[in-house]
Amino acid sequence: MDDRTVKGRKGARVSETGGREEGDVYLDYQSAKPVDPRVVEAMLPYFTERFGNPASLHTVGDRATEALEESRAAVAALIGAQPEEVIFTSGATESNNLALIGYANRNKRAGDHVVISEVEHISLHNIGKYLAKEGLRVSKAPPDQYGRIDPQKVRSRITDDTILVSVGWASNEVGTIQPISALAEMLRGTGVALHVDAVAAEGLLPIDMTAVPVDLLTLSSNDLYGPPGLGALYIRKGTRLAAVTMGGGQERGLRSGTENLPAIVGMAAAARIAAEELPAEAARLTAMRDRLIEAVLETIPDAHLNGHPTERLPNNAHFRFEGIEGESLLLSLKDEGIWVSTGSACSSKTLEPSHTLISCGLLHEEAHGSLEFTFGRFSREADVDSVMEVLPDIVARLRHLSPLYRKV
Amino acid sequence: MGTLEGDDIAVGRVGNPVCGDLMEMYVRIKDEHIDDIKFQTFGCGSAVATSSMITELVMGKTLDEAVEVTRADVADALDGLPPVKMHCSNLAADALHDAIRNWRASKRLQPLSEQEIASSGAGCGAREVTYVEGTKEYTGKGVYTTVDDLSELTDKRVLVLDKGVASARLALQLTKVTPRVVFVTELETLGLPDDVATEVKRSDVKVLFQSRLLAVLGEGEVEKTLIRDLGEDNEYELFVDAVVLLGA
Repeated sequence: MDDRTVKGRKGARVSETGGREEGDVYLDYQSAKPVDPRVVEAMLPYFTERFGNPASLHTVGDRATEALEESRAAVAALIGAQPEEVIFTSGATESNNLALIGYANRNKRAGDHVVISEVEHISLHNIGKYLAKEGLRVSKAPPDQYGRIDPQKVRSRITDDTILVSVGWASNEVGTIQPISALAEMLRGTGVALHVDAVAAEGLLPIDMTAVPVDLLTLSSNDLYGPPGLGALYIRKGTRLAAVTMGGGQERGLRSGTENLPAIVGMAAAARIAAEELPAEAARLTAMRDRLIEAVLETIPDAHLNGHPTERLPNNAHFRFEGIEGESLLLSLKDEGIWVSTGSACSSKTLEPSHTLISCGLLHEEAHGSLEFTFGRFSREADVDSVMEVLPDIVARLRHLSPLYRKV
Repeated sequence: MGTLEGDDIAVGRVGNPVCGDLMEMYVRIKDEHIDDIKFQTFGCGSAVATSSMITELVMGKTLDEAVEVTRADVADALDGLPPVKMHCSNLAADALHDAIRNWRASKRLQPLSEQEIASSGAGCGAREVTYVEGTKEYTGKGVYTTVDDLSELTDKRVLVLDKGVASARLALQLTKVTPRVVFVTELETLGLPDDVATEVKRSDVKVLFQSRLLAVLGEGEVEKTLIRDLGEDNEYELFVDAVVLLGA
């Protein structure tokens, strides 16, 4: 892999294009991101000559420990945290499990009530369901029509028994950025901990734990263009958790299991690149996003933007088109070599509309008529043009077939 | 069909002509028995069918027996009605019961005024007040029975329950202050005068047909509603900030 290429579909060589072929337009970075070739390069030695188990007491082990701790410091630096406040996990899902279940188990005596925002990823809601089965009370805080969680909506749910509030930094679906500072401020002094799933926002928005008093923060490696299968959990000093995975006591006993060193080094490399490139990259993506939003809303009748008009992720443009199914749109775009998502990747395979869109107040058919474009590191300005070349005609054709689209 | 006149006639009336769901029952009573029965309705075909059926069901019966005829009996006698049409059979039974109640209370209904008849709407009668859970609890906390100041609902997600022309006009007005107005009706089509119906269709008002508002829910204030899809026969949540039930 000296030329840093990966084999793409049909075996074509696709180096430096983020894994896509000539002519194809990948606008589904929310679902999955290619690993940055610079990250792959940083990881490679750790599979072979720089292998090692940090628990070993010899030089190979020491070397591994050094790499592990350097990596921890790099990930911590991305979010303004101390290295000892970061532990590595197998991904965002495990981080969320440890944050919610670990916190609830460790703080049982303080209370048994948890508040989760309606617009969270389905994996978080399923953890909520598990907690409810274990006897906790779980409340959901609804968003406004733009997907924003008003801190007052959280406050009205807090009781003497509330121990934890979980709200994402931004919605992975509609892209709306949550007022995390205001939420943290509202919770200050209440003794209620704040967990934030930052997966959708990391690398796109500045996240600084010295500025915002979040107690637990979930990160994913792949969402920073690092390797999949790795994540991290920020645990503010003084926040107590019970382990969910038992074993050899790695990661301060909170996450047993020999560290996945190549992936950890990869996530650290990804974090360093993200920290360095974030301001310029966010500006570049924002410009692309705004050009697409403007073009779609101006060109296509009865098209609407889902999520917040301004407080949204730099890379997210989420639309709904009256009278048509998102899936038929997705498939038509696929025929044109444009790859997008109908919303939450997990829900693409079910007929249920996205719970996020429903909680924003959309009707089922509107939620089904939604389409999500997410730009990323390997997106180009020309991608917007490619979309606009075909999207208006596809929408018009599908509406012609639709019994739901009958404007008088 | 038709009317009856005389001292031995009991008259029952349910619905509201403005809403287009008026139903009147005329019952001739002899020795506590139903001697003749006729009806008038501004309702739809199902309303006519159920009214016709109820006249057959109760003809010759005693008043006590007639009172026992339920809404369900009427629908059963017609071999069932689609869920969306159930309210029509309710109208017929309700009007009959109203007639008997009035007779026993020695109450004589006045005929409708010309104006009331002229302003009657078209369409099937779906707008009787069905019980909506939570409307009392959330009055002043997102449930409105009258809207004097539209600006109170600026940028809110508003659900307007179909109460006829007045509610449709309010929904249209609300689109000037908020992008999100949902008009919930139990009907399959807009049971409104043509000009109002056309205006609604052309507007940004989202119409939920064949839908019944079951409950208003929230933590301290209106946050969502429970809607029953009468066509699909299932229930789902619709997130809104305000619910307007005119005159409830």
